[in-house]
Amino acid sequence: MLELFERNACELSDMLKNKEISSVELTQSVFSRIKAVDDKVNSYVTLNEEEALKEAQEIDRKRIKGEQLSDIAGIPIGIKDNISTKGLKTTCSSKMLNNYVPPFNATVINKLNDARAVITGKLNMDEFAMGSSTETSYFKPTCNPHALDRIPGGSSGGSAAAVAACEAVVSLGSDTGGSIRQPASYCGVVGLKPTYGAVSRFGLVAFASSLDQIGPIGKCVKDVAMVQSVINGHDKMDATSAYKDYSDLAANLTADVKGLKIGVPKEYFGEGIDNEVKTSVLNAVKELEKQGAVIKDISLPSTDYALSAYYIISSAEASSNLARFDGVRYGYRTENYDSLIDMYEKTRSEGFGDEVKRRIMLGTFVLSSGFYDAYYGKAKLLQKRISEEFNGAFSDIDVIAAPTVPTTAFKIGENINDPLKMYATDICTVTVNIAGLPAISVPCGTDSNKLPIGLQLIGNKFSEQKLLNTAYAYESISDGFIIPKL
Amino acid sequence: MNIDIKHIAKLSRLRIEEDKIKEFETQMQNIVNMVEKLPDIDEKMILDESNPMILRKDEAVTDKYSRQELMANAPQVKAGCLVVPKTVE
Repeated sequence: MLELFERNACELSDMLKNKEISSVELTQSVFSRIKAVDDKVNSYVTLNEEEALKEAQEIDRKRIKGEQLSDIAGIPIGIKDNISTKGLKTTCSSKMLNNYVPPFNATVINKLNDARAVITGKLNMDEFAMGSSTETSYFKPTCNPHALDRIPGGSSGGSAAAVAACEAVVSLGSDTGGSIRQPASYCGVVGLKPTYGAVSRFGLVAFASSLDQIGPIGKCVKDVAMVQSVINGHDKMDATSAYKDYSDLAANLTADVKGLKIGVPKEYFGEGIDNEVKTSVLNAVKELEKQGAVIKDISLPSTDYALSAYYIISSAEASSNLARFDGVRYGYRTENYDSLIDMYEKTRSEGFGDEVKRRIMLGTFVLSSGFYDAYYGKAKLLQKRISEEFNGAFSDIDVIAAPTVPTTAFKIGENINDPLKMYATDICTVTVNIAGLPAISVPCGTDSNKLPIGLQLIGNKFSEQKLLNTAYAYESISDGFIIPKL
Repeated sequence: MNIDIKHIAKLSRLRIEEDKIKEFETQMQNIVNMVEKLPDIDEKMILDESNPMILRKDEAVTDKYSRQELMANAPQVKAGCLVVPKTVE
């Protein structure tokens, strides 16, 4: 018999609707789990227990009265700590925002509140979402629930680890270059990076505004579909938000892939991709073929340059986005200073960690006079070419299948002093952000160390339903999420 | 490409401690060497006119937040104003 905290959101949703359990019982179950295992996993930065229980009581009252409630009403959800929550600290896991309490909610939080989801707390991340292992957090590294001496991935490492460790039923992360999919893959859970513009970025602390996108993480595809249906939609507070109507992704889930054309790009299976990862992903593709999908070999030649283009564009945007942290209106301010410039420089040098400093400096460099055309200009042209290559591919196929990450989770401390090695873990995920596409990572087995491997499915813009259906079809014939022993 | 870390730090309003300059310089050098590997593309960036950004109309919004709420996160406040070091002699 599974504990409540171990169950999927879709099952729990039915149990709540049928009044088999109450929201208070479920919330208590999740907090008891947090208290039992978070000392080991370190997923959370801030807990919201008192408010969560109050909200759960309110939901139970409404349900008893017979009020119509959403599918995720009463479902405990953890939030990455770069998504603004009114009255609840939002630190971006940085000393810079250690005491920052937003006076407003991000649009996704308002939507979750309207749907009566129960917010459990704020989840650890790489500082300002810059990192691939959650080790750049100012507070603490998060551990992979499947192997506590290994990283959970990043930057949404807390969001993926919390779901894998059953410390939250579902969670929200953000993905600028793979930050939802990569930790989802390492932690053996499902993570969706939606199409750019599908989910409002209002209230998401900006890293690289043209690439950032909020998305859900869950134990199964249906859970992710349920949350995505709540958070997507146009928002006038975000000028890049798409004018579009969305259907109910969870209600329309089907496991039928008959005739679906799946492209396998050779560039995603080359040098640097671990053999066990390659084998697992290709086996998953074969399983889909057995279910009736048609497999085609394709080529996306500019993939080799994607990492360079990504680090130029994202750092350029970060250097200007993070200029706002100056110690004047909010956030950390240095103690001793003798002029305005002195205050800016000391505040920023003491408030930011090394990785954030590296990105700001790289961004400043590629935008600086004399270097702009050679770096930023070229990267933007490459972005266009990468988008065109994807467009070409999608004229002929429905979904692209690739590994999410080249290897399984590495040891804590293994790559932290080598930025290039760390950056290389993003090689399979960055193209999706560069082209603004949706993609999902779904568990596809484990390696010889029992570490999870992820299958990445990439779709054309706004093809989330097709992606989720493909992932659902694969999930229904695979082991899916495995509860780690903690 | 040689990276002048002190100059870039200054442009970024950052100060790198003397004993860390060498490390940052090497790391930045490696990162720049990596991102330099971009092909020459003989094209110009043109705006995609088929997909213009639809901007909302300007409209007056009544203040949803009080001055006090907005300033609650400020490091130093005096008489309802943000305190900063003297900028004009």
